[in-house]
Amino acid sequence: MKPILASGPWPRLQRAWDVRAACNFMGGGAGAGLIMASFVGALVGQTWLASACLGLALVGFGLTMVFFEIGRPWRSLNVFLHPQTSWMTREGVVAVPLFGSGAIALAAGWLGWREAAIAALALTSLLAVGFLYCQARILRAAKGIPTWRNPALTPYILITGLTEGTGLFAAFHPSAAAVVLALLILRFIAWRRYRRALGQSGAPEASLDVLDRLARWLLIGGHALPGLLLGAALLLPQWPALAVFGGLLAAFFGLYAKLVLITRAARTQGFAIPRTPVRGRGSSRQAASRPGWASR
Amino acid sequence: MTRYVMVADLRRCVGCQTCTAACKLANGTPPGVMWRKVVDIEVGEYPDVQRVFVPTGCQHCDEPPCVSVCPSTASEKREDGFVTIDYDICIGCGYCITACPYEARHKVDAPIWAYGEQPMRHEQARFDERKLGVAQKCTFCVDTVDAGLAKGLKPGVDPDATPACVNACIGRAMAFGDLDDPDSNVSRLLRENKHFRMHEDIGTGPGFYYLWDKEELPL
Amino acid sequence: MAAVQSTSVKWVPTYCYNCVAGPDLMTVKVEDGVATQIRPNFAADGIHPACGRICVKAYGLVQKTYNPHRILTPMRRTNPKKGRDQNPGWKPITWDEAMNEIATRLLDIRARGLSDEGGYPRVAATFGHGGTPAAYMGTFPAFLAAWGPMDLSLGSGQGVKCVHSEHLYGEYWHRAFTVAADTVNSRYIVSFGTNVEAAGGACAVWRHADARTRGIKRVQIEPHLSITGAASAEWVPIKPKTDPAFLFAMIHVLLHEHPRAALDVAFLRDRTASPYLVGPNGYYLRDPQSRKPLMWSNGAAVPFDAADAQPEIDGRFTVDSAVEVGPDGKIWEHQNVEGVTALTLTAEAMRGYSPEWAASVCEISADTIRRVANEYLENASVGATIVVDGRTLPYRPVAVTLGKTVNNGWGAYHACWARTMLATLVGALEVPGGTLGTTVRLNRPHENRLESVRVGEDGFMAASLNPTDKEHWESKPSGRNAHKTLVPIVGNSSWSQALGPTHLAWMFLRDAPADWPRPSYPDIWFLYRTNPAISFWDTRQLSDTMARMPFVVGFAYTQDETNWMADILLPDATDLESTQLIRMGGTKYTEQHWAHQGVALRQPAVAAEGDTRDFTWIAGELARRCGLTERYNKAINRGAGCMPLKGEGFDFSLEENKDYSVDEIWDRACKAATAELSQGKDVHGLDWFKEHGFYVIPFNRADWYLTPTMIEKGLRYELPYQERLFRVGKELKSRMNEAGHNWWEEQLEEYEAIPRWHDFPGMWIKTLKKMGGDPADYPLWGITTKVMQYTTGNNVAIQLMHEVAGNVRGVGRVMLNAKTAKNLGIRRGDLVEVRSITGVTRGEAEPVNGIRPDTVVIPGQFDHWATPYAKDLGYPSLNTVAPLSLDLTDSTGSGADVVLVSVRKVEESVQ
Repeated sequence: MKPILASGPWPRLQRAWDVRAACNFMGGGAGAGLIMASFVGALVGQTWLASACLGLALVGFGLTMVFFEIGRPWRSLNVFLHPQTSWMTREGVVAVPLFGSGAIALAAGWLGWREAAIAALALTSLLAVGFLYCQARILRAAKGIPTWRNPALTPYILITGLTEGTGLFAAFHPSAAAVVLALLILRFIAWRRYRRALGQSGAPEASLDVLDRLARWLLIGGHALPGLLLGAALLLPQWPALAVFGGLLAAFFGLYAKLVLITRAARTQGFAIPRTPVRGRGSSRQAASRPGWASR
Repeated sequence: MTRYVMVADLRRCVGCQTCTAACKLANGTPPGVMWRKVVDIEVGEYPDVQRVFVPTGCQHCDEPPCVSVCPSTASEKREDGFVTIDYDICIGCGYCITACPYEARHKVDAPIWAYGEQPMRHEQARFDERKLGVAQKCTFCVDTVDAGLAKGLKPGVDPDATPACVNACIGRAMAFGDLDDPDSNVSRLLRENKHFRMHEDIGTGPGFYYLWDKEELPL
Repeated sequence: MAAVQSTSVKWVPTYCYNCVAGPDLMTVKVEDGVATQIRPNFAADGIHPACGRICVKAYGLVQKTYNPHRILTPMRRTNPKKGRDQNPGWKPITWDEAMNEIATRLLDIRARGLSDEGGYPRVAATFGHGGTPAAYMGTFPAFLAAWGPMDLSLGSGQGVKCVHSEHLYGEYWHRAFTVAADTVNSRYIVSFGTNVEAAGGACAVWRHADARTRGIKRVQIEPHLSITGAASAEWVPIKPKTDPAFLFAMIHVLLHEHPRAALDVAFLRDRTASPYLVGPNGYYLRDPQSRKPLMWSNGAAVPFDAADAQPEIDGRFTVDSAVEVGPDGKIWEHQNVEGVTALTLTAEAMRGYSPEWAASVCEISADTIRRVANEYLENASVGATIVVDGRTLPYRPVAVTLGKTVNNGWGAYHACWARTMLATLVGALEVPGGTLGTTVRLNRPHENRLESVRVGEDGFMAASLNPTDKEHWESKPSGRNAHKTLVPIVGNSSWSQALGPTHLAWMFLRDAPADWPRPSYPDIWFLYRTNPAISFWDTRQLSDTMARMPFVVGFAYTQDETNWMADILLPDATDLESTQLIRMGGTKYTEQHWAHQGVALRQPAVAAEGDTRDFTWIAGELARRCGLTERYNKAINRGAGCMPLKGEGFDFSLEENKDYSVDEIWDRACKAATAELSQGKDVHGLDWFKEHGFYVIPFNRADWYLTPTMIEKGLRYELPYQERLFRVGKELKSRMNEAGHNWWEEQLEEYEAIPRWHDFPGMWIKTLKKMGGDPADYPLWGITTKVMQYTTGNNVAIQLMHEVAGNVRGVGRVMLNAKTAKNLGIRRGDLVEVRSITGVTRGEAEPVNGIRPDTVVIPGQFDHWATPYAKDLGYPSLNTVAPLSLDLTDSTGSGADVVLVSVRKVEESVQ
């Protein structure tokens, strides 16, 4: 028997969503990004069938993992009941046509009906943007998790989804290196902006510790190294492997960062009071800070 | 209009967890799930330290983030202030748990018994399979309040129309009542005392007030 | 599937008396025969001081009933070997077999003699916390009375876990077995570690919360910020065991920094021995003929009871002719002798204890000490009056209360004396708003302390001290703890033995001083609602001693560390399953001041689990099998159950040789109690009580206070000077020395007429060195604290308590100062080892700011190894590392929960 841990006011690691939920953000983000990259690739005449197929598979994989996480999976159709305010409902609402149009695009592409396929892919891509946006807003609406609800996370989630997807696309088409590189720069800026915003608003100290450890890996493995590889790929187009590895690295660390964001950096708000009560003829004092929080 | 709220007088609370235990019995929550609990918070550094006991649980917010994120409409807000969960609709996605800044919501996927594999007789009697795999939280004892109202009782005054935590409190630190009734106990307490709500900056409009000092009333 | 709708639902009224701060009145929800919920009994609103509320522990009683680890049938040990490493090998047996085996042994004892060759009772019994087992053992007290001599000296923590010095000195000075502030009227309370918000039950919490809202100021003086400290207006982090210095400094401020007129001079003059003149040998100057103590009034020495005397409370006066009566009748005859008033002597003794002096001892600033003293005086409102129940009484809304560790062991006498003196100086003793006693246990009648006031010698209340004169001193102990021999002030009432130095009984069983008769092990040892293998000190060694008990009968709820050594386990029906009527109300124990008094019924809300039996059935069956039915029934008739069954205008007595069922006995008890309380107007039987739960009549609030009774009887409080104890100490020293015993010398030094400061913390350091330790290796003071969930009640195996206690900081952990922890490289959740010279305990660290840098706190009493559920908690316990030491035992036989320890990290937090 393990003792139930003393609770206290400190922010706790959220345990409502585990790696299965994280997979939805990882698969959904990278998949949506890959679908969009495939669409852009298709517009410039590149093959896209395999990459778009993988993109849809990733989104589907993420949603499947969520199916295994929810407590009452056989009621999962109830997820569609609250489009008025719930970004999770909206995510589901977008996902259905996303797979529909995606399937049409793939079928049309497989059958060689190029125009129809591109049109369907355009729609799929648009829906993928919507899907990715829904995911970003899902996190933002999670008001119990300070590191998720921060508005600066929204652009990061969007950009990293695109970066991951495009990074994966580069594995199919190394010529996408420049786009990946550009997105990498944007992602780095979005990350720094997000982290700075957390420092300003304050956040659970343990979350910041995790994010700062992550930031070191993200800087080196997720930005500097792939940036160098992709830069080199631009200079040395005869070595497509550089772009492939650069793209995969950018994608991998983006996915890893989301895994950390969902499972390890996500602490609850904790409990705090602005001031202490007056006991009898005692005195009240203002609380200098929230327990377990830091601004740095 | 009616707006039921909870008021906790932090000057009176001693963190004894009697409300926590009473809630657990009244609502038959499984081990590890506390719809009501009292958090022990320290403020300051040695030797200038104060320690405060803060009852918490679902704050039945004006703008409950759990309700707006809920994809299934299982979580709803009643006109009289209760935030409710329909266990038959909830899909158990856990989103509301992450949306709540007060750690008020829980989800239990499989039966948990106090002593291992087998339930005790009272656990078996109280077991409610509907609560497995769905979100659960403090209801402000809505069933008791509704039943009491149906009998013409006054919530917060008559024990049979009052949440278990309020009934149980040995410090008379907790009060429950209608904020929209200027003559209610909670309205009087809030008028006569300085108060705050927790995490007010998040903008949820909690229906849970904390008293910390008496108000300087005009003579 | 939704929860099944119950077909039968009822709420059953009953009581909770899991701690002395009861009973609290509750109702149990029973659905289809299963107890499912507990609620306050709202019918007690306006009667019970907390309006029928019950504390957190009561909510655990449902789990307590259905706990699968319960023992549900009598058990016999099959493994003849005993020890921690010896599985008892329990085998279920029938009640008939169990009772037969016990009765056979009891009958054999009756045949051989109730006491052994050494004079020790052959049967011993140990009961748990503060008399609470008596509220659950039905008519077993009648069996005990029917049996005859029984040794109650094998304690379960008495003397080290109670407020021991307060019990003894409190009752001696103002019939205060326990002391409380008159919270409902008080304005300023100085609390030295009193954790009343955790241990005072629902009534204390309710009263103090009301007082805070009203605007009371409570200053909490203690090494760590306890729950009570948290709810106080101010926390003063004092060094452990230096409380008497702070208290002495407060007395100093009152006596030396304010004019006498600022104090309650009339009270000192008329209600205390302040004007008594003390002679050169330290004894009162007495009238040569009447031997009455003398006072100086209108230029002449007069006896203390002289009519119209206006005695001086201060000064030195020359008395023409007087005598002093010393120890063993020694007389000093004096002519023209200087007599000093007791108050003047006290003031002179306190002169050196200034706040500046105390500051260095207590490690608290002199300004703080002086301010607290001044605030105390200012709030005392000397001269004010209040009307209570139509009587005008003095109103002194200030009180000083003392916590457990302040009240135990070295320095406790000093703290108790100083506390009572602070009340005395401002006239706040036993008056509205002041420092009050609640009940008596060493005097009788237990249920009315005012009636226990009898006129004694020298203008004081009668005191029942154990004799120390040559002729009557009990040189050969009659109990294993020698309470009559060693502790005069504990007296010899039914409670005295259990309040004697109970750890001496355990120590002497193993290792008595060479010149001391080593006590025998009792032939039979009964246990009920107690677990001394956890709740005492040096628990490992204590368990080894228990293993040597030849035959142990444990009334058992679950397996535990003490009944692990038992031979027979008898499962009694517990709180929600059994019947008993108990008294309630009036004034009693912790903060129990009611405006009502009466009786409450515990009744079977549900059928008893398994083959557990009602304790009254067990008691009757034992009496029957031992041929004691007649004596047993007589004892019940006398009131051993609850109240006498026969009184003025009613007679519900049992026939003396008839066997009665449980319900028949309690039906008569219910009728007798209601007839007694209502003076014959109401007679309610068991059925009425099953429906209503309790019966009360009004209790006069003026009877909360002893002083009016003292005035009526023309008595004085035996303060400030302790002439009688001084004499008794001298006599006891002579007796011990004559008998050749020299191992109680330090304790005998404590019999001071005016307590003086000794380096109390230094006594722990000295003892550590004597045990071979280097103080540098044990730099921290280990202490403990109570939390409501686990304070008494035997509920360590209740999962609900464990769960909700997790919300209270430090429970199950080792608390230490955040900066100290940082210096030691310890973070929250790290596994740490707390080591003393005699033991080691481990637990997770909890660094906090509300604790002195030199102090470590381990809440509660844990470290279980046999109790199901509790043994898996892995909680640390101070008891494991606290030594049982004669050197750390004071003259009352008490020791304090203080241990010098070191702390080191063993493992990083897994968090």
